[in-house]
Amino acid sequence: MKDEKIRIGVYICECGPNIKEAMDVNEIAEFIRGFENVVLTKPFHLLCSEEGKTLIEKDIKEYQLTNIVLAACSPKEHEITFRKVLRNAGLNPFLLQIANIREQCAWVIKDKALATQKAKAMIAAAVKRVAYHEPLETKEIQCHSDVLVVGAGVAGISAALTLAQKNRKVYLVEKLPCIGGKVARYEKVFPSLECASCVLDPLLDEVLHNEHIELIAFSEIEEVLGFYGNFIVKVRKKARFVDSTTCIGCGACSEACPVKIKNEYNEGLDNRKAIYIPYPGALPHVAVIDGKHCLHLQGKECNACQDACPFGSIRYEDTDQIQELEVGAIVLATGFDIFDPKKVSRYGYGKIKNVYTSLEFERLLNSTGPTEGKILLKNGQPPKRIGLIHCVGSRTKKYHEYCSGICCMYSLKFSHLIKEQLPDSSITEFYSDFCLPGRESQSFFKKLADKKGVNFIQVKNIDSVELKKKDNTILVKYRDINGKIKGRSFDLVILSVALEAARNARELAEIFDISQDKDGFFLEEHTNIAPVSTSVGGIFIAGCAHGPKDIQGAVAEGQAAAGRILSKLIPGEKLSLEPITAEVDEDLCSGCKTCISLCPYKALTYDQKKKTVSVNEVLCRGCGICVATCPGAAIKARHFTDKQIVAEIKGLLQR
Amino acid sequence: MERPKIALYWCSSCGGCEESVLDLSENILKITESADIVFWPVALDTKYEEVNRMKDGEIAACLINGSIRMDEHEYMAQLLRKKSRIVIAHGSCAYIGGIYGLANFYKREECLNRAYKEVPSVKNPEGILPQAQSRDGEVEIELSGFHDLVKPLNHVIEVDYYIPGCPPNPENVFEAIMSVLQNRTLPKGNVFADQKALCATCSRRDTKPEKAVIKEIKRLHEWQWDPEKCFLAQDMICLGPATRGGCGERCIKANMPCRGCYGPTENIIDQGGKFLSALASIIDSKDKREIEKIADSILDMGGLFYRYCLPSSLLEKKVKSLSS
Amino acid sequence: MNSFEPKIIAFLCNWCSYECADSVGRAQKEYPSNLRVVRVMCSGRVDPQFVIKAFKEDAEGIMILGCHAGECHYKEGNYQALRRYILLKKMLAQFGIEGGRLRLHWVSASEGDKFVTIVSEMVRDLKKLGPLLLRDMER
Repeated sequence: MKDEKIRIGVYICECGPNIKEAMDVNEIAEFIRGFENVVLTKPFHLLCSEEGKTLIEKDIKEYQLTNIVLAACSPKEHEITFRKVLRNAGLNPFLLQIANIREQCAWVIKDKALATQKAKAMIAAAVKRVAYHEPLETKEIQCHSDVLVVGAGVAGISAALTLAQKNRKVYLVEKLPCIGGKVARYEKVFPSLECASCVLDPLLDEVLHNEHIELIAFSEIEEVLGFYGNFIVKVRKKARFVDSTTCIGCGACSEACPVKIKNEYNEGLDNRKAIYIPYPGALPHVAVIDGKHCLHLQGKECNACQDACPFGSIRYEDTDQIQELEVGAIVLATGFDIFDPKKVSRYGYGKIKNVYTSLEFERLLNSTGPTEGKILLKNGQPPKRIGLIHCVGSRTKKYHEYCSGICCMYSLKFSHLIKEQLPDSSITEFYSDFCLPGRESQSFFKKLADKKGVNFIQVKNIDSVELKKKDNTILVKYRDINGKIKGRSFDLVILSVALEAARNARELAEIFDISQDKDGFFLEEHTNIAPVSTSVGGIFIAGCAHGPKDIQGAVAEGQAAAGRILSKLIPGEKLSLEPITAEVDEDLCSGCKTCISLCPYKALTYDQKKKTVSVNEVLCRGCGICVATCPGAAIKARHFTDKQIVAEIKGLLQR
Repeated sequence: MERPKIALYWCSSCGGCEESVLDLSENILKITESADIVFWPVALDTKYEEVNRMKDGEIAACLINGSIRMDEHEYMAQLLRKKSRIVIAHGSCAYIGGIYGLANFYKREECLNRAYKEVPSVKNPEGILPQAQSRDGEVEIELSGFHDLVKPLNHVIEVDYYIPGCPPNPENVFEAIMSVLQNRTLPKGNVFADQKALCATCSRRDTKPEKAVIKEIKRLHEWQWDPEKCFLAQDMICLGPATRGGCGERCIKANMPCRGCYGPTENIIDQGGKFLSALASIIDSKDKREIEKIADSILDMGGLFYRYCLPSSLLEKKVKSLSS
Repeated sequence: MNSFEPKIIAFLCNWCSYECADSVGRAQKEYPSNLRVVRVMCSGRVDPQFVIKAFKEDAEGIMILGCHAGECHYKEGNYQALRRYILLKKMLAQFGIEGGRLRLHWVSASEGDKFVTIVSEMVRDLKKLGPLLLRDMER
């Protein structure tokens, strides 16, 4: 395509001896000089040197060059460097094409004649392609710098605290009426065996009093619209029926309430009232009415709590409220749920007394739990023989193939704490493999293994473990490492259950439009190098919502997500967008909708009025899938247009 | 003032494009009230000699339909090009090669053998094939030479405008002729059809969901489909998304999917390849074997995707490779 | 035929296969010079029209290299490439273009040896298949 307006300058880098000695640079230069639109062809010893860069800049101005071709090392090495050179010379940085004659020619072809021939083709391709390059602008959009964090567990709180800065507001939305997530209900955390509330409470306190954090507890996300920098979120604030500004959490209301319901905060091990504070010390320390079970709210006669409350905080007329938030980014830290061992009848869970899940046992250990921290059997006596079964629901094809990562450590934690409370007890851990990564896990294990009365039994197949009721004890049947069937009796058995995706993960994934992996955990953008972002721009994940992990991991991810957001979404600054995106020609788009569902980033939307598709340039990542798909050829891939690629092909095959 | 002259010619043609002119109905009078049709083999008895005697550019507009397959077609195309100011490729055969173009999947010999020897209803015990030159006693018989390939019109002469369609929408034919008679300046290569693909005007577009992926392909003879729903949303192949609109959706209205006769939209490099890309992209599977099974269920991809445009496509024909 | 050097157009995706080719270069491992690379951001950008155009422009073989299943930088672009490749390969057979002339492979950035093997094998096979003769002169 000959065009007087196009003036291409071609520079062939000799790269010291690397290219110079591998091919005949002069022959190549002669060949290129004859090409359409080429006004200048210069070999140079080292283009990436200051001298080289200055020469290009000077030539662009002096010879009014409009497009540049560099035959040099890989564009992945220096494309950015040379784009800057063009910009400094007043030329749009995208009017550059690099022919990779070092990594993909000089260094892989020993025959000089063949290398010369291939280099000629590569440069010819670059010359033909660059004639079709168009200037591209890096656009910017206004954005909100406020952030929404969903989930006030340890990951969400870490994110919120890292984000909360001057000029940056954090909305922290939590489904439960209290914050702290699962960790708030543990007694001690591994490996230090520090008390969980000592570790957590200062953070919770900070969250409640930080002027940049707005806690919206007992609320759920209803709808999310918009995109990175400009999300509009609808939050449903469920009615608490208690005025949180006057309630001090004295508990008089619960005392008076006649209704008893199984307490889900103690895993159903004891009961609570219809008006309740989740557990002693729960923050915010405000009561809440369970509307489904409250007599008054179900239309029956009862004002027990209202009568008992010394501060007049009861508000029966409360209704759900919808709050709309405008935020620039979102962190999903919605945690996990545990595997329900009722699914597996051989564990006898729910049938045999004194068989507990790990979460139930945490509550037994906790001073705010149903036994105030005393390890007791159902008959009120302390147990003498305790068994722990690893991998309940994990590492098995039947339920979850993955390893939940923390169960070995928390099982060891339990053994430590049991030994502390009941020094004469005998503990047996049934495991198939021991998962002890990290700096401190091995010594944590060894400290326990050295104690008297602690046994570790490796079983051949963890799926072979069976619990049977034998008189007043629990018989654990298993296959030992040699395959022989053995049995041991215990008073109390703890099932180390798998961590699963939260029960409402599917719902959340749909609301936020993010992907889940096959186990329901939210999927990261890239396993190795982008673990806290998702393929949806502006939505980040942290903690166990992203897969089983320990507290340290959850905190790290919360802080990492916050870091990603802090560096990109800066108050007052605009968000700069990827310039290499797709563009729909509305004059050619027939509205066939073929492309829409194929975009991995949901960047294509169908305008119901115009009946055409448009690309959201904030979300588009420039993969080009829609461009190749479009049956009407109505979508253009900037910087990788059909015309550019066809020109490149022609150049490569030129005789 | 001399009235402008209009000519029409047919090359390898079925006559459908002639009918599209008849289908102008009363509009033909709008043409004949200001112009004269001087050459139209299907309707008038004008001889080639008379065309030869015309001055160069004497014909204002010449509509040539049918694809180029024989010497005679090429000869007349070149003659008419000389004698005409504007040449319009009339119909899909002239525009992009047409259905005849599918013969390009076969060699010349294969076509002749099939037609004159292999077809069950033919009785040709001596296996005689038509020759360009032959004798019958004293008489020398000349038949127009039969080319190796079917070609669209613009492979043998320069074409000014195009009217797609098999057959074309009479409205587009009318517009094309009137544009010349009214001396409208149009860019060279102008196509008298919509710029957008068929879906833009299709009555079934709104029944297509934003996610329309397929797990299998249903063929026409296999079932009764919903007469109001988008074909692609019912797992049926419809080339509408890769084909220009402007035809009046006559096939769709007759409850049949689009077969692509209006040709590709302007940025498509190869209509068959583009449609193949779109169809492959909506296959709802990541499994190689499953995808292959769906591919195998389309028995004649080349014929289906290049039904009207094989000669004007990138490959044009079945290629010959040393190994074959 | 002895002097026949097939030309291969290879579409390499920026993240895995192009990086792989560069790593082969850095390791200075030789491979046949018949390979001509077109860089795209994702194998999902590769339009069957490009493949057909490349054959038309005298390429004897076409290669599409993308990321392994589950590793595509853009989530699932490589599956799009796979779907189009399967259909295209089947259709090209009708045009007389042998299956061996169009190949799709998934390589990661670290599989330099696999890259060299794939390219060498394709050159060897194409030499046996011979030129495509798209431009054979027919009337």
